[in-house]
Order: sequence, then structure tokens, then C-alpha cells
Amino acid sequence: MKGLNVIDLESGYDKNLVIRNISFSVRPKETLMLMGPSGSGKSTLLLTILGIITPKKGKIFLNEEEITHLPIEARNIGYLPQDYGLFPHLNVIENVTYGLYVRGISKKEREDVASKILTLVELQGFEKRRIQGLSGGQKQRVGLARALAIKPSLFLLDEPLSNIDQVTKSDVAKELKNLFYKLNIPIILVTHNHEDALLLSKDIAILIDGKIEQIGIRDEIIKNPKTPFIKKLLLPFTINE
Amino acid sequence: MIQKFNSKYLIIILYVLAGLLLVFSITTFLYQYIAALGSFKKVIASFGNNRILTALILSLLSAFATAFLAIIFGVPLAYLFSMKEFKGKLLLETLAVDVPQTFPPIAEGMIFLLMLGPNSPVHLAYTFAALVIAKFFISAPFVVSFTARRFREIRQTGMNLTARSLGANPFQVFFTIFIPLSLKDIGAGVSLCWSRAMGELGGSLLFAGVIPHQTEIIPTFIATQAKTLTIEALAATILVTTASTLALVSFKHFTLSKT
Repeated sequence: MKGLNVIDLESGYDKNLVIRNISFSVRPKETLMLMGPSGSGKSTLLLTILGIITPKKGKIFLNEEEITHLPIEARNIGYLPQDYGLFPHLNVIENVTYGLYVRGISKKEREDVASKILTLVELQGFEKRRIQGLSGGQKQRVGLARALAIKPSLFLLDEPLSNIDQVTKSDVAKELKNLFYKLNIPIILVTHNHEDALLLSKDIAILIDGKIEQIGIRDEIIKNPKTPFIKKLLLPFTINE
Repeated sequence: MIQKFNSKYLIIILYVLAGLLLVFSITTFLYQYIAALGSFKKVIASFGNNRILTALILSLLSAFATAFLAIIFGVPLAYLFSMKEFKGKLLLETLAVDVPQTFPPIAEGMIFLLMLGPNSPVHLAYTFAALVIAKFFISAPFVVSFTARRFREIRQTGMNLTARSLGANPFQVFFTIFIPLSLKDIGAGVSLCWSRAMGELGGSLLFAGVIPHQTEIIPTFIATQAKTLTIEALAATILVTTASTLALVSFKHFTLSKT
């Protein structure tokens, strides 16, 4: 199956098991939002897929290739951390083409890719700008451009709206959704914020105590929550709607 | 009880104590120049003394060699300490970084004399190499500690992992993320390392000896001349303290201009 396929995954830190029996799939063009209270294992799951944490059990397949024990750099996964993780000593174009630079791609080719990607995220003319002088939204777009420049097979975003102010949040969410639509890859987002989840994805997976308690289309889960806890967790959705 | 006193007077006392310490430190530093004023021409003439000049050149060369080796060995060690978790790391870090900085240099010289002296298979005592080894042991930890602190800060931001997710292997991350983001801290560590190496005495005195034109450096020259309080000893003191002060001023420049 094309896309991401996670089978019976168990992972955690040292001897502590944080996530257990995790199985799910995300196909190209699908967006899955991982939701759950703090400490439910969302970030652990994201970091295990990314390769930062080694799983204790289970398998991860990306486009039918097993990546469970591949080093991070060999997975070809686009990743946007919560604070965007931009490199302060590099300017915008150097940040965006970093992944191509470490792959030994020529300067000319890097500049061509950067030009296309910066147009996609509407940052033309920002090539030589210093990171420190950018606004929060611009920084996020540089982070997106940088992750997309490597043509990833999967895109992981950690709390993508948490550093965006309330006024522009819905606009940024719209831009992100448009961008996701243009990409032919699976996308996984993580949030603990109900409003962000509402803005960004129709498919959600609810993690509680390291297990996926319910997964599916958001509106159906709201209608038929599996447990009273999920019903309580999704209450803000029903109020918003 | 403290509420009974007028806070205005208490603050004045604090300022007076602070001022006394400042006066003590600055007077000590400036006194060498004041002492030199009385026999200014003789002090200036001493700067041209062949023995002092050779001692100065040997001091500078051994301090630069020490700083260079501290970068070559110290930066990788800082990377190891900041990136890897293993049993006994705390003890190892204490032994490699903290202990040498507080070690009595004369004891260090004694150990090197036993380990690499005339009775050992590798006889390095009383050579230029002995000077560098003695200085390196107590000075290199500055580079390790400053660099490791910065590497840990970078690691905490997760930038290294983002770089790896973009396709960089750990070696590329080291040279494209850790090193460029730590240049100021490495520079500050090297300044202190060099400055400490310039002033090191005990280890050099025992292990490298005081052979004029071969292993005699400014601090050992001062030590042998100090009893008679010669003009040459004063000139040498001025040379070594001024050089170290300049290095420390550059260190402050590195840290204060940190972006």
C-alpha cells in the first residue's frame, strides 16, 4: 500500500513504554490529525516515525518499504517542528536548500528548486533575508519550504498553528490545507489544541495513555464517541460547530 | 532585625565593600606599571634582553601550540560529552574538565616527570614538547567546557535532529550546524585556554625545567629572578600579564557580542 503504514508499534524512552499497540495507515493526499491530552504519546509517536526514537516493537512502512530501523537521514520524511527549527546562521535560501546541499546537489539546481518552492509558499524575494528578521508566519513558511524542498515521501508537522496569532490563524490554516492538497504525500499533524484540529483536518486519531482509542472521520467520531472520555475531549468541537 | 537598619546605609556598606575589592584588583594589576615608571628606561631596555625575548617567544609558541591542540582534541570531546549518554559520563567529565582546572600545577609537573621523565620509556622532560604537555593538561579543559555548554544548548533546540531529517548525516550536522553555531564559544574557550597557558608555571617548572633559550618561558624566568627583584623580572611580568589581559579582553568581546 502506498503511503504510511504503522503496524503494532511500541515505543518510549529508556525502559518507559509510552505508546503501545499503535496501528494505522495514511495514504497519499490524506491528512491525519493526532489528538490527545498532554502526555498521551502524540509526540513520541511522531518522533518514532521520524526515527528519533527507536521503537521497541512493531514495524513502520513508507511506500511499501520498511523504514523501522533506518537512520533519520535515510527516511526522506519532511518534518516541521513546533518552533520550526530554522538554522539562525543561514539565510532563507540557505535554510530552504539545506537538505539539497547535504545531498551534494549543485548550486544551480538548488537555486532552481528554491525558486519554485519559495513561490509555492509565497516568499519570493526573501531569498537573502536573515531568519531573525522574519515574522512568525514567514518563519513557518520557510520551515515548510525547507521540508518540502527534499521532496519528502511523508510530511510530519508538530503543532503547526501553536505559534501563529489568533487573528491570522484561520488564514494560515487555509493556506496550509491548500498546500497539503497540492502535495501527493501522506501528512500527519499533531496537536493538543481542539481549535487547531478543527481548522486543519477531517481525519483524526485520538491517543489516550499511549493507545489509539478511536480513529476515523472527525464528524463521525463526534457523533459516536467510543468512550465518555472521548466525548468530553471532543466537546469543544460540538460547541464550535 | 534587618528591618531596623536604614536601608540607605546598608546599600552604602555594600558599595564600599564592592569598591574595596575593585580597588584591590585594579591596584594589583596596575602596580607593575607604576613600579616600572621609576626605572622606565631600564624596563624598556629589558624588553630587548635576549633571554627575555627568547622566553617570550617560547611562551607564545607553546601557548599557541596548546590552544591549537586544545581545539583539535577538545572540540570532539565536547561533542562526545554533549551528545552521548553513557555510564560514568559524569565522572569522566569531572576528571577531564573540572579536575585539571583545579589541579595544583606543581603536582601535575611531578606526575608528568614520573610518567614521561628520564626514567620512563618516553623521555620528553626538559623539551619544548614538555612545555606544551604541561600547559595543555590544565588549559585544554576551557575549550571543552565552553564548547560542550554551547553544543548542549544546540542539542536542546533539536536543530541537529531537524538537520538530520533533511538528510544530513551526523558528520555533516557536526560541521554545518554545531561548529558554525559555536564559533564564538569555541573562540572564547580558546582565548581563556591560551591565556591560562601563557601564565602556567608549576607544571612547566618541574617537567620542562628552566633551560634558557630552550625551555625557559616568561613565568619560569620570573620565578627564578623574583628573589632578587630584578628589572628584568619586572619587565617579564609586564609582558605576561599584558598578553593575558589582552586575551581576556578579546574573550569578553566574543561573549558579549554573542548574538
